Amino acid sequence: MLEGINTVGDLEWEVPIGYVPNMRVPGRFFLSRTLAETLEEGAIRQLANVATLPGIVKYSLAMPDIHWGYGFPIGGVAAFDRTEGVISPGGVGFDINCGVRLITTPLTEADLAGKKRELIERLFSAVPTGVGGKSAMRVSNKDLSAVLVDGARWAVERGLGTAADLVRCEEEGAMPGADPDAVSAKARQRGVPQLGTLGAGNHFLEVQVAREIVNPEAAKVFGISEGQVCFMVHCGSRGFGHQVATDYIQTLEGALGKYRIEIPDRQLACAPLESPEGRAYYGGMVCAANYAWANRQVIMHEARKVFAELFEIEYDEMRLIYDVAHNVAKFEQHEVDGTTKEVCVHRKGATRAFGPGVPGIPREYAAVGQPVIIPGSMGTPSFLLHGTTAAMQKTFGSTCHGAGRVLSRSKAKKTVHGKELREHLAGEGILVRAHSDSALAEEAPEVYKPSREVVRVVHEAGLSKIVARLEPLGVIKG
Amino acid sequence: MSFEELDHTADVLVRVRGATIAELFAEAGRALFHVMYGPCEDRGIDRQVTLEAENLETLLIDFLSELLFITDVENTVFCTFNVDIQGTRLSAALKGEPFDPARHSGGSLIKGISYFGLEIVKEEESYVVEIIFDI
Repeated sequence: MLEGINTVGDLEWEVPIGYVPNMRVPGRFFLSRTLAETLEEGAIRQLANVATLPGIVKYSLAMPDIHWGYGFPIGGVAAFDRTEGVISPGGVGFDINCGVRLITTPLTEADLAGKKRELIERLFSAVPTGVGGKSAMRVSNKDLSAVLVDGARWAVERGLGTAADLVRCEEEGAMPGADPDAVSAKARQRGVPQLGTLGAGNHFLEVQVAREIVNPEAAKVFGISEGQVCFMVHCGSRGFGHQVATDYIQTLEGALGKYRIEIPDRQLACAPLESPEGRAYYGGMVCAANYAWANRQVIMHEARKVFAELFEIEYDEMRLIYDVAHNVAKFEQHEVDGTTKEVCVHRKGATRAFGPGVPGIPREYAAVGQPVIIPGSMGTPSFLLHGTTAAMQKTFGSTCHGAGRVLSRSKAKKTVHGKELREHLAGEGILVRAHSDSALAEEAPEVYKPSREVVRVVHEAGLSKIVARLEPLGVIKG
Repeated sequence: MSFEELDHTADVLVRVRGATIAELFAEAGRALFHVMYGPCEDRGIDRQVTLEAENLETLLIDFLSELLFITDVENTVFCTFNVDIQGTRLSAALKGEPFDPARHSGGSLIKGISYFGLEIVKEEESYVVEIIFDI
């Protein structure tokens, strides 16, 4: 482990006050000794920098997929006091409400025999992907205003899904507090043509099989069984969210002097939660979060249509298990020093993992805790877990969001050849469809921490518990 | 003068050099489009950009953010950047081509320009800046 960091438990570490100047609280992170071998000092410094922000409560936290980002580390979680705390776009990221949803089908792997390539090709045709990918939907500026407030509900009201889908979404697919007036004309211009598009980078639509059920009782509650074919959608708020983030980093950076906030990194630009600038960012961020839920809803709808036509199954037989956000800031109730407090929890590359009985999760899942969906990198397993009481106590109800990178994109391009990778994965029965092979190299399995190890850490630390392991059968990428 | 990609685990870190501040900005623009789209040619698309900011670092971030906005909504890819900077006021003439999925799909989508560690430094014969593009 890096110098200056203290052990708290087998998988838990503390960054003491003083690691960087002006820390208000210690840092805490969760990591195995294996994962510690690739831990970057820069990521820990960023974790410590977050601890200097006004109104931070208890700890600056990071999950085992921690890595060096900008502002907050990726995998960072921090909660801020409602009256004394701040909100920071650098604690959410450019891709506001990047997230994941998991859908089951009534099919087994055998049902896909001889049709898998056609399925992947049809999905690739149905869902716009990649840099420059534009939607076939006609969305007016007025429609967009409704999307920003109603989120996934906007899509369902237009027949692009069912009422049951909304219940099985974090925030029921639309966070309250959206303020369309806080969104710039530029963000709107970017948002209109991109609704229903996957985007690029690590975003994907993957066909998977539930290979192993680890917790049969929880699996039954979530409605997933061994051998079942599923699909997973991973994407966010596209250019709309990127623009909202860009606009407000600039605004909040400009307001630092006004509120006499000193920060060690300009990317941590922030404003008091109760200030006009802080409120405006929150209202705009909620718009982007709702846009992302509508986006994933539309993509799921298109994918369901492809499955229904190709396999002659009913649309309603494809059940959304859950949809989680992993880049967002939210007002939540948490226990702090023995009393329940309202705090603004920032999760940047971290997933909410509310435990059993916590308000805000679907009633049908209340006894188990919310579903947590952790996507693997290309070619590696993804996991379905459930939230826990321990997460409520230790991490403001949060867990990891994915594997976390270990190799830079430039090194990946030098060591991995996209075409060879695609052929190698095809040899393992995983079909990959993307616009370009070189983009694949950047997302090769070896550039990420092993998803199994990251998930093992959160499972053993109790931040969420494994329900099922899903393996990829085919994927479309940007 | 030039730009080069350095190692960064999560995102893309580029080091850009220019003999003048104007050239530094032009190279930063070229780096951004190179990362996003790969090869680009001048095929008759012209665009003007004018911006003003409080300091040069903020001006650079605003300029690159404006380029991200333009490419996203106008579907254009730029390769030539004639930049003029007076104080902290920028005017730039951009030349490029329409986005072509067949030729421009090999790069990485940039979500935003990070303020993290961004500082324009004067070295002996050139200006240097390191910029993180969020991917």
